[in-house]
Amino acid sequence: MGERGGALVQGTLDMLILKTLALEPLHGYGIAQRIEQVSGGVFRVNPGSLFPAFRRLERAGYIKPMWRASENNRRAKYYALTAGGQKQLRSEAEEWSRQSAAIASILEAS
Amino acid sequence: MSLWTNLTGGLRAMFRKQEAELEMDEELRAWLEAAAAQKIRSGMSPAEARRSAMADMGSMESVKEEIRAAGWESGIEALGRDVRFSIRLLKKAPFFTAVVVLTLALGIGANTAIFSLIDAMLLRSLPVRNAEELVEVSHASFTNPLWEQVRAQQDVFSGVFAWSTDRFNLSPSGMVSYASGLWVSGDFFRTLGLKPAAGRLLTDADDRRGCANRAVLSYGYWEQHYGGSGGAIGSTILLDGHPFQVIGVAPAGFFGMDVGWKFDVSIPICASAVFDGQQSRLDRRSWWWLRVAGRRKAGIGMAQVKARLAALSPTIFGAVVPTNWDVESQKRFRQRVLAPAPAATGLSGLRAQYEQPLRVLMAVVGLVLLIASANIASLQTARAAARGREMAMRLALGASRARLARQLITECVLLSMAGAFLGLWFARWGNTILLRYLSTVHNTVFLDFSPDGRVLGFTTAVAVLTALLFGVGPAWWGTRIPLTSAIKETHASDRGIRGRLRLWIVGSQVALSLVLLVTAGLLLRSFRNLATLDPGFDRDHVLLVSVTLPRANERAEAVYDEIERRLRALPGVTGAGRSWNTPLSHVEWNTNIVSDAAHAPQGDDALAYFNFVSGDYFDTLRMRLLAGRNFNAGDTTSSMAVAVINETLARRFFPGLDAIGRTFRVEGEARKLEAPVQVVGVVKDAKYESLREDTLATVFRPISQMDETGASNFEVRTKLSQAAMADAIRDTAAGVSRDTSIEIHTLAAQVDDAMSRERLLAALAGFFGGLALVLAMIGLYGTLSYLVTQRRVEFGIRMALGAPAQSILGLVMRDVALLLLGGIAAGTGLALAATRWLGSILFGLGPQDSATLAASAGLLAAVSLTAGYLAARRAAKLDPISALRHD
Repeated sequence: MGERGGALVQGTLDMLILKTLALEPLHGYGIAQRIEQVSGGVFRVNPGSLFPAFRRLERAGYIKPMWRASENNRRAKYYALTAGGQKQLRSEAEEWSRQSAAIASILEAS
Repeated sequence: MSLWTNLTGGLRAMFRKQEAELEMDEELRAWLEAAAAQKIRSGMSPAEARRSAMADMGSMESVKEEIRAAGWESGIEALGRDVRFSIRLLKKAPFFTAVVVLTLALGIGANTAIFSLIDAMLLRSLPVRNAEELVEVSHASFTNPLWEQVRAQQDVFSGVFAWSTDRFNLSPSGMVSYASGLWVSGDFFRTLGLKPAAGRLLTDADDRRGCANRAVLSYGYWEQHYGGSGGAIGSTILLDGHPFQVIGVAPAGFFGMDVGWKFDVSIPICASAVFDGQQSRLDRRSWWWLRVAGRRKAGIGMAQVKARLAALSPTIFGAVVPTNWDVESQKRFRQRVLAPAPAATGLSGLRAQYEQPLRVLMAVVGLVLLIASANIASLQTARAAARGREMAMRLALGASRARLARQLITECVLLSMAGAFLGLWFARWGNTILLRYLSTVHNTVFLDFSPDGRVLGFTTAVAVLTALLFGVGPAWWGTRIPLTSAIKETHASDRGIRGRLRLWIVGSQVALSLVLLVTAGLLLRSFRNLATLDPGFDRDHVLLVSVTLPRANERAEAVYDEIERRLRALPGVTGAGRSWNTPLSHVEWNTNIVSDAAHAPQGDDALAYFNFVSGDYFDTLRMRLLAGRNFNAGDTTSSMAVAVINETLARRFFPGLDAIGRTFRVEGEARKLEAPVQVVGVVKDAKYESLREDTLATVFRPISQMDETGASNFEVRTKLSQAAMADAIRDTAAGVSRDTSIEIHTLAAQVDDAMSRERLLAALAGFFGGLALVLAMIGLYGTLSYLVTQRRVEFGIRMALGAPAQSILGLVMRDVALLLLGGIAAGTGLALAATRWLGSILFGLGPQDSATLAASAGLLAAVSLTAGYLAARRAAKLDPISALRHD
C-alpha cells in the first residue's frame, strides 16, 4: 500500500486535507482528486491513508462530516472545516513555512 | 473541545457500531464509484474501470481496519476480542493452560509469600496515627528512673512513652499458661493516637505510684477469650497471681511496638511494684527493662530532636547514676548520649536476624520464577510453532504482525493473571508455614500478613513482568514467519530460529538451576553442620521443667531440693538435676574473673559465663567430668567456695597448668573482688548461649553456695515422652508445695530453636532448589522432544540409509552434553558470584565450597542426562518408514 507518485512528507497529509477543505466541503474522493490536481500530480493519496486521517481529524474536532447528495445524486459523506480546523490549519501552515524556509536556506548555503 | 469530540465520537462508534460500520461501507463504496466514474471519463470500459479502482484501493477490509485503528475505541474493542479469542484458545488446550497456570502460581506465590514476609517484618508502618512521626529514643534499654528523667526533661515530643514486653502466667497453679504482657507508661495509648474498641485505654492517671491494678486487653485476646463481649470490661484477670481489673480493649490490628510479637494484655508500669515486693524496679537504677519512644512535635525535624537529646543527656544521666557502680563506670555513664531513631515501622529483634536471609530468599524465589517463566516461554514457542499455519493464514488474510503479537501477549497476560490469583492463595498458605518456622517454644512469632497495597502492587508487577518475559519472545518469533513455507509447513521449516531460541532458554535454565542448587546445597550443609554439631551435652531424652512458687518463700531452697529428689525417684526417670540456667536458653550471667595463674586474661578479656547447678546436673546432661570431683554434700555456705570449670576456661585462665586446686576471684558489684573460689573439677566444653558461639569460658558453681534463690530449672532425663511425663511431674511439684506453677518443654526443642533461622533457610532453599531442578528438567525434556520431532525426517533418512539407533541416540546426546557443559560453565560463574552474599549466614563452610559446587553440578548433570536420554530414546525408537511418510 505504498504511496504511488511522490511520497508525502511525514505528517503533512493532515495539513493538506485541512487546506483542501478550507475552500469548500468535499467528499473523500474529491479531496484526493483535488490534492493530486493542485500538486500537479506529485501527490497521490490512497484511501488507506486518507480515511484514517479523516477519522483522526474528525475526532480532533478539526473537520465535521455531513451527508449531501453527490454529483451523481447519490448520498455522500462530505467533510467541512470547523473553526478549530481553521485555527489548526493556520498554525500548521505557519510552522511549515517557517521550517521549509529554514531548510531552503540551509540547502542554498554553500 | 477536541477531547470531548474525541470521547463522544469514540463512544458513539462503540455503542452504535452497526451504524458506524454502515457509514464506513457507504463512504468507501462512494469512493470506488467516484474513482470508477473518473476512469470511465478518461476512456476505460466500465468493467475495467471498476476493477482498476478496486485494485487501486487494495483490500477493502484492511482499509477499514486502518480506519478503525485511528480511533481509541478500536483499542478497547480489539482487547475485548483478543481476550475472548484467547480464552477460547486456552480452553481448547486445557492441559497446557493448567501446566502454565500452576507453574506461574508456584513462582508468583513463592515471590508473594517472601515479599509479604519482607513487607510485614521490615517495611510496614505501625497501625497507629501518623506513624512516621514516631521516634525511638535510642539507648540499649532504660531503667525506670532514667525513663522518668527523659519524660521530665524532654521538650521535642508532643508525647513520650515507655514500654516493655513480658509474659504473665494466667493460671493460679499447675501448668503455666502464659499471656504476652505489655508494660506501658501512662501516655502510651494517647501518644500513639489509639481509640479503644471497648471500655477505655490506660491514661496518664492510671500510671502513678501506688496505682490500682488495671489492665487493657488486645482486640485479638478479647475476641478469643471473651468472645468480644462487653462483659469483659470490669472483670478480673489474674497475672502471675495478682488480680487486675480489665478496663478496656485496644483497637483491632494494634499489636504493640514490636514487630513479630503481639500483646495479649497491657498494664501500667507503676503496677510492677505489686510484682516486685520490697525491691521495686521503679526505683532501681540498674534494672534495665524499658524502651522509650515519642512523637515529634509539629515542625521539629530529626536533626533538632538529635541535637536536643544530646544537649539534655548530661542532665538526664547525671540524675540517675547507678550508685553501686565503680567510679570509672559511673563517669562513663554520665557521658552517655541519647540519640533518636525513626520508629515508624516499630522495633524488632527479628530484623537483625532475618534481614539478610530474607534478601537471599527473595533472590532465590526470583530465580525460581525466572526458570518457571523460561519454561513457559519455551512451551509458548512450541505452541507458536504448532500454530504456525494458523498465524500464516491470518497474516495472509491481512492481519498485521502487531495485531497477532498483541493477541499472543493478551494470552500471556491472561495466563499470568490466573497464575497470580492462584499464587496469592498459595502465598497465604505459605505465610502460615513461614510463621510456624519462625516461632520457637519461647516465642510465638506474630506478623501482620493482611494484604496491603504494597504486596498487591508487588504481585501485580511480578505478574505483568512475567507475562512480558515469557510472552514477548514467542510473540516476536511466532509472528515472524516466512509465509509460503509456513503455509506449506515443511518439516525443516523450523529447526532454525525457534529451535535455537529454545536451546538458549534451556541453557540459561540449566545455569540458573545450578545457582539455586549451589545455594540450597550450601544452606543445607550449613544447617547440617549446626544440627550435627556436638553441643557438649546430650540433648535427647531430657525434659526441662521450670518451677515457679507463687510468692517469695524462705523455704524455697528446701522446696526445690525436695522437688529434685522426688523427680529423680519418678518411674521412668534415669536422672534429674537442677540449675539456675539451662543450655541455649538465651539467659546469661557473666562477669570478669581474676585467675591466680600468671599470663591469665585480664580486665574485659577475662569475661566468664556462670551457671549454678546441683551435683546431678552434669550426669543428667551427660557432660563428662574430665578431672577433679563433682559437687557434693560437703559444699555448703560455710565451706570453701568451689567451682567446676569447663575446658576452655581451664585452658585460657590457667594456661599450661593443672587447674584443679587453683583459685580465681569474681568481680562483684562496683568491680570489687569477691572471696577466692577454688576449682575442684574440669568438665567437657559445652555451648552456653548459642550453637554458633566459640565455646565460652564457663564457671559452674554449686547451688548450695548460691546467695539468692532462683535456681528453679530442673533437667529430667527419661525415655518417656513429654506428654507421658507431664502429669506425674506436675503432681510431684504440687505434692511438695501447693500452688506451684510449672512449665515443661524438651531440651531437644530448645536446641532446635537455636537453629530456627538456619532451618528456615535450609528448608526453603532446599524446596526451591528442588523445584528449580524439576522445572529445568521439564524444560529440557520438552525442548529436546520438540527438537527430536523436528528432525524426524532427517533421522528417518539416516536410519533408512543404515545408521544404527545408537548413532541417532549419540547425535541427540551430543546436543545435550554441549548444552549441559555451556549451562554448567555459565552457572558456575554465576554461582560463585552470587553465593558471596551468603557469607556470614553460613556455618562451618565457606560460600565458595568446592564440594558443594561439584555435588550440585553432578546432580544437575545426572538429572539432565536422564531427561536428555529419555528424549533421545524416542528419536532412536523411530520407525524410519513412518517418519518419512509424515507430510
